[in-house]
Amino acid sequence: MSDAKPIRKAFSWIWLAIGLLYFFIPLLATFLFSLRGKKGALSFVAYGHVFADPQFLKTFGFSLGMAACTVVAGLALIVPTAIWVYLKLPKAKPVIELLTLMPFVIPPIILAFGLIRTYSRPPFAWISSPAILVAGYVVISFPYIYKAVDAGLRSMDLRGLTEAAQSLGAGWPTLLFKVILPNLRTALLSALFLTFAIVVGELTLAVLLAWPAFGPYMALMGRNLAYEPAALAILSFGLTWGAIALMQALGEKH
Amino acid sequence: MAFLELRNVVKSFGRNEVVRGLSLSVEKGEFVSFLGGSGCGKTTTLRMIAGFEAPTEGSIFVEGAELSRVPPNRRRLGMVFQNYALFPNMTARRNIAFGLRVEGKKGPEVERRVDEMLELIGLGEFGERYPHQLSGGQQQRVALARALAPGPRALLLDEPLSALDAKIRVRLRDDIRAIQRELGITTIYVTHDQEEALSISDRVAVMRDGLIEQIGAPFEIYDRPATPYVAGFIGTLNLLQATALDPEEGSLLVEGQVVRVGRRLEARPGEARSLRLRPEALSLGGPGSNRLAAKLVNVKLHGAIVRLVARVGGQEVLVDCFNDRSLELPGIGADLSLTFAPESCAVERP
Ligand SMILES: Nc1ncnc2c1ncn2[C@@H]1O[C@H](COP(=O)(O)OP(=O)(O)OP(=O)(O)O)[C@@H](O)[C@H]1O
Ligand SMILES: [Mg+2]
Repeated sequence: MSDAKPIRKAFSWIWLAIGLLYFFIPLLATFLFSLRGKKGALSFVAYGHVFADPQFLKTFGFSLGMAACTVVAGLALIVPTAIWVYLKLPKAKPVIELLTLMPFVIPPIILAFGLIRTYSRPPFAWISSPAILVAGYVVISFPYIYKAVDAGLRSMDLRGLTEAAQSLGAGWPTLLFKVILPNLRTALLSALFLTFAIVVGELTLAVLLAWPAFGPYMALMGRNLAYEPAALAILSFGLTWGAIALMQALGEKH
Repeated sequence: MAFLELRNVVKSFGRNEVVRGLSLSVEKGEFVSFLGGSGCGKTTTLRMIAGFEAPTEGSIFVEGAELSRVPPNRRRLGMVFQNYALFPNMTARRNIAFGLRVEGKKGPEVERRVDEMLELIGLGEFGERYPHQLSGGQQQRVALARALAPGPRALLLDEPLSALDAKIRVRLRDDIRAIQRELGITTIYVTHDQEEALSISDRVAVMRDGLIEQIGAPFEIYDRPATPYVAGFIGTLNLLQATALDPEEGSLLVEGQVVRVGRRLEARPGEARSLRLRPEALSLGGPGSNRLAAKLVNVKLHGAIVRLVARVGGQEVLVDCFNDRSLELPGIGADLSLTFAPESCAVERP
């Protein structure tokens, strides 16, 4: 038995290394490729071109905004629902779990056509409203938000804390904002992280609903240019992480 | 009307009737324990008083007002839970201040009250610690202070000590009782530990199958159990098989030896009965007109008490003696003469 341990430990390190390589090699390759914009030398020329294109900041900003709206709408919808299910309807949990699988089973293209069909003529002619795009994004990110919130709720004694707060006179708002949400912080941050990562790069919904989002912009660049898309990928990666780090820092201070 | 009153309270979960028409009156400032085995409905009853469960039938009154339409956060009843349920994101101070803040109190008023509470529970220096930086006993003290801080009308505790180890349990229960006396707060205390219930309560309600089997002062419950169940549940009990000898004069036969209980028996001569005797009611040649010849089988030292295991014919009998200097124990296997008073034994149908 005692011999097996170091071997198993070594194996786990090897697997971790393989995992990290699998993740970072494409990133590194993309990064190196993005530096070859000028013949014979490594340079940041491609990055210059990216920033020089006003479309870049415009689409990226738009997508970040949509991601923020998605997070707000998604959390506002899912957090109270999950809490309610935990406290009052534990029997409904399997149903919700099943629902969280839907976005995986139904591809976004079907969602997009569904939205277009339903909302492009009266009485619901709202297809040109960004709210419809956000609604679609909420559907797509629903499983990720729900899983994160679910894990957070599971890791605390929700019923005990709820009853303790109620016996001290707290109503639902106090309970939610002073007790439950502060204890869900990590879960909410990971929901936010995942939602940003999904929404900023999202292509199908944005294209079909015709929004100037970052996903379609990247796809367009990829078709026409060589080095700039690589630079763009690296940049969007860095910016998304940067945005998340910023929000986390803000959350910490609070 | 009493300060807190339950009238024919019934609670069913689906078809399962868990509390079955329970009535109870608690006076202001009284300390009442619910004592009973697992699943007898103690927690459910307490949660109905707190408002976390709605009674299926019956009503609950506090200070004369019926509570069924009052949500838990408007009942002003403090609650202490078995697993503390402190808010993990708040320090001890902020936990204690929570109820005060909810009431809209601010600044120095809150701080003063929190200091007072920390003093009361003897944790003056621990105010800035988070729950995970406190021991279980300290956490439960904070939970007690948190429940008391807003000045609730009554305090409800659900097995508050059962997650703690023995020494701390005894210390904290005495502290809870002392604090309760100091504040004069009406208290309901759920426990399955009879020693706990008997040692800190004004009255003990022994529960069984969703009903109160007997309620009374600890001495009353222990010395005059109203039913065989209570007698068997509280303390240790010898049950001796006997047959009625002369019901008119109140005599029975136990293993061929005559025992007199000093009162008329409801039995025909020769009918089987059980004789109920507390181990401490028996002695080796002490006062009491009844005598039973027995053989000593074993001796167990329980600190201040020595428990003798004896045999009367084929039946085992426990005898408790004080462990004092004058106690001279015969050797194992020796003959004993156990004495007891007629009024110390109860007779019941087997
Ligand atoms: N929410 C519920 N749904 C269904 N049955 C329940 C529920 N809560 C309690 N019960 C049942 O009611 C009965 C009484 O439970 P309760 O918790 O009141 O017992 P208790 O006296 O507190 O026991 P313990 O000493 O084990 O805590 C048990 O049989 C339990 O299974
Ligand atoms: Mg219980």
